[in-house]
Amino acid sequence: MQLDYRLSENWDSDAAFLLTADETDFRYYAFAGDIVLRDAQCDLSTQWGWVPLVDFAVGLRDISAAIEAGIAAAKKFEFTESDATLEFERHGADVNIRSSYAPGKIVLPSAEFRKRILDFGRRLDMELLSRLPSLRQNAAYQSLKLSELRD
Amino acid sequence: MHRRKMQPSPSIGRPSPSANERFIISWRGIGRIAPLPEQGSIPGITVDLLREMVDETVENGSSRENTNGRPGRIYEYDFGHPIGIKINGRPAYLLRVVVNDRNELVTAFPF
Repeated sequence: MQLDYRLSENWDSDAAFLLTADETDFRYYAFAGDIVLRDAQCDLSTQWGWVPLVDFAVGLRDISAAIEAGIAAAKKFEFTESDATLEFERHGADVNIRSSYAPGKIVLPSAEFRKRILDFGRRLDMELLSRLPSLRQNAAYQSLKLSELRD
Repeated sequence: MHRRKMQPSPSIGRPSPSANERFIISWRGIGRIAPLPEQGSIPGITVDLLREMVDETVENGSSRENTNGRPGRIYEYDFGHPIGIKINGRPAYLLRVVVNDRNELVTAFPF
């Protein structure tokens, strides 16, 4: 499975805004882009340009943790600006991923799923901090703990 | 029924309109409405009309906790007639409104 992102190049990276942005800003407004989510048979990638990537990383971190720990057998991720969803369902040692907006499903081991999610968060965090070092001074961003999305 | 009051916030650094054009509105960008025709939008809507629709949704719609650990609440209301275009290009009858913990509008979109 490939899990990646594309940051919108149209993002207006206003450093003053990002210094004072709160959790809602990061989960709804900041760092919009698209998700790349596919394997050889199925493509659940988005092509909308508005998916808040920090929100996606945080949301899937929590979903993958719950599924891997056996707290939940199934979880749904709701996108922020439409009724589109991604559904994650555990079957034995695997996780099945389906969407409401594209056919097919992706199947991968739950441990691998968790690993890909954590890696996604790490890479996103590194790129955002590289582009905008002032994010290190934003308490809301730090509280989302993208930098701690690791085992 | 108590009418909820939503406080607008000043427009500040945000995704540019081109990146944000599918957002029908957010309180921080109250003047920005998706170009037409646009999936995930409400063609022909005005800011005043959208405010009325948001108020009606919050006042009369169903509500639930926001999802995926996001702060705030979600309100949904079925207007009983097409109000916009869904992301898949089909008619949308419902409005979903998200408000934060201070009861400020975060976003709203048809679905």
